[in-house]
Amino acid sequence: MRRIGFLINPVAGMGGSVGLKGTDGNADEARRRGALPGAQDRAATTLRHLSASPDLCFVTCSGEMGESVLHKSGITSYRVAYSFQGNSTAEDTKRAVSAFLQEGVELILFCGGDGTARDVFEVTQRTVPILGIPAGVKMYSAVFALDPVTAAALVSGPFGIRDAEVMDVDEEAYRKGVLSTHLFGIARIPARAHMTQVAKQVFEEADEERAKEEIARFIEEVMLQGVLYIVGAGTTTDAIAGRLGIKKTLLGVDAIKDGGIVAFDADEKILLDLATRYPETRIIISPIGAQGFILGRGNQQISAAVVRKAGLRNLIVVATPHKLRETPLLYVDSGDPVLDREFGESIQVISGYRIAQRRKIVRSP
Amino acid sequence: MQTKILLDEEQIPKKWYNVQADLPTPLDPPLHPATHKPVGPDDLKTIFPMDLIRQEVTTDRYVDIPEEVRDVLRLWRPSPLYRAYRLEKFLKTPAKIYYKWEGVSPAGSHKTNTSIPQAYYNMKAGIERLATETGAGQWGSALAFATMLYDLECTIYMVRSSYTQKPYRKSMMHVWGAECIPSPSTKTNSGRAVLEKDPETPGALGIAISEAVEDAATHANTNYALGSVLNHVCLHQTVIGLECREQLAMVDDYPDVVIGCVGGGSNFAGISFPFAGDKLTGKHKDTDIIGAEPASCPTLTKGLYTYDFGDVAGLTPLLKMFTLGHDFVPPSMHAGGLRYHGDSPIVSRLVHDGVMRAVAYHQSEVFEAAQTFARTEGLIVAPETSHAVKSAIDEALVCKQTGEDKTILFNCSGHGNFDMTAYDAFYSGELVDYEYPDELIRQAIGRIPKIS
Repeated sequence: MRRIGFLINPVAGMGGSVGLKGTDGNADEARRRGALPGAQDRAATTLRHLSASPDLCFVTCSGEMGESVLHKSGITSYRVAYSFQGNSTAEDTKRAVSAFLQEGVELILFCGGDGTARDVFEVTQRTVPILGIPAGVKMYSAVFALDPVTAAALVSGPFGIRDAEVMDVDEEAYRKGVLSTHLFGIARIPARAHMTQVAKQVFEEADEERAKEEIARFIEEVMLQGVLYIVGAGTTTDAIAGRLGIKKTLLGVDAIKDGGIVAFDADEKILLDLATRYPETRIIISPIGAQGFILGRGNQQISAAVVRKAGLRNLIVVATPHKLRETPLLYVDSGDPVLDREFGESIQVISGYRIAQRRKIVRSP
Repeated sequence: MQTKILLDEEQIPKKWYNVQADLPTPLDPPLHPATHKPVGPDDLKTIFPMDLIRQEVTTDRYVDIPEEVRDVLRLWRPSPLYRAYRLEKFLKTPAKIYYKWEGVSPAGSHKTNTSIPQAYYNMKAGIERLATETGAGQWGSALAFATMLYDLECTIYMVRSSYTQKPYRKSMMHVWGAECIPSPSTKTNSGRAVLEKDPETPGALGIAISEAVEDAATHANTNYALGSVLNHVCLHQTVIGLECREQLAMVDDYPDVVIGCVGGGSNFAGISFPFAGDKLTGKHKDTDIIGAEPASCPTLTKGLYTYDFGDVAGLTPLLKMFTLGHDFVPPSMHAGGLRYHGDSPIVSRLVHDGVMRAVAYHQSEVFEAAQTFARTEGLIVAPETSHAVKSAIDEALVCKQTGEDKTILFNCSGHGNFDMTAYDAFYSGELVDYEYPDELIRQAIGRIPKIS
């Protein structure tokens, strides 16, 4: 039997329908405004598609955090590992995930939004893969399946593992119309093996780690002496630093020159300073989050001013074929509409050793 | 309105045309991989028969086609030249578009034009078996067909990604009695070396060539056969252009633009060399000769003109050609036959000298063009050929803007009947527009391992 941790954030998504732009710390207000919980229905759709899988055993929470939907969906193979009282909170999510891990689950399936993803990941880190059934107001994190049915297919089928960003969106700022996102962490999520695709892709996309190494091998080959490289967050850029023998900030932006670190976890001011000081600066970044943002989400340190200082033509975008397949469009939202327009209609993304892909760009969604 | 322009069987050319005779200065010689000295006939004797070695180096303007070879060519030659009236009408272009249809050969492409003479000369030299490589499988199936006719055994190292992607090409080789092995394989030292370094490699033409050359060099009864790049291969393909020139003369025309797709360069050489010769000798100075290549493997448009190995392991002589580096493994795009790091030394030289030029295209735009072609002219062409179709359409659209009624000729080198998964990928939006990051590479060229 495969043990799957399963939890629902019962209030996820409620804030959206009543204009609260998120439900974190606001569930009571959402209820007062007449919001109806939709997460249960979303989770039920996934569970209905899993009810015929005899090898699954769910480890879940009491009541509306899991058990009641499992029961309604006709699933009997489950046990309750965590019970909560009153209205569920973020703390309940975290405690439930701890209980799941103690039960030895191989995957945690949760239903919620960005806030729930952050709470789940805070406990699991990279120990077990996680997968979100999308039900929240905001879903900037890349840990969500496309829809509840796809989530079921991922859980039931044999799957590989890939990296996916967990984003931290400041809800207070968001309600005031300011989108402030930070890269909170990089989770492991199940990924389809894509064996049904045309055979050629099986070779190329069999292993994301291998793809990262190929990208790193190429970037190392084309790095120049005397040039300052601003290296963005994420595991693809981390592989580049790893190849150079450098320990970089996984979730932050570093500056590298001649194979050594010049600035560690730098903010915009430091980057701007460096880009001014060094005559030649290049920026190596990977698209972030579910939507595939090149600029404007999770790496705001690399601001429009920093990009301008380095020059747009010195921006090197890297991404694995796996990531690109999941992100048909790339986005830029640098905060400077003029710069965003300068990107044009498409961009070259380095996806392997001396291999690039031409990808379409969408500005400020 | 004559759609098909046909020649009689007797009009199959009796001689191949050798453009080397009309080059202003001789080609740079191939160099020995170990000594870096020019290779002589003796160096090539272990893998090629003497007749082909002579054809490789000759500067005679014409080389006789043996009657026994012409007899086999009669099975499908002369191939038809079509006037693409329906495509012209669809594009609303004043240009006249002609295409030479090489898909009528038993193996479905131009490759049989050289597989037949190559098998013939090897048979005459007492060779019992040929080893070769194949990318998309067009060359492999063409050589399987030819070796069967001359009662030779045939071993084909097929690039692994194509082996899986195009199972029916492999089946064709079996029908004609050849052995087909996915490359890299564990049968050769070069294959084992690649697999050890990278067990999941999709393979590449350069790797498969190493395997076939090694196979031939280590078996006394076996020679090697190459489906493109080399001078004698380009020579054999000139029947295409020679026939075209006759066919166009029948309708009192001569091309302003001549187009072919380019991987190793043989089908492009085949259609264009006779016209390049007319250009070099001043008979038609202004012909625009265009090679269309993939943006993911843009040898002629982005490569360096220098000496490089023809294969990954460095077993072949060094050839002066446009190259992306013999260690470059191009991405697994659908036009598998164009995945080659180098190019024919003669084509390279002519591009370098400005007699020809090259353009590069992304995958989705060439499939778009192939769809237009299929929906107007009816033929579903190979992904490789689609590059030539795209270039012809582009040129015709330029004419539409300028109002010129140019005559455009392109080589429709093969059918796409075994490439339907590629068309499926196009329709499901799964085609990836690979490209070669040449700017980054150029800036760092000093840090890239020296090619020769």
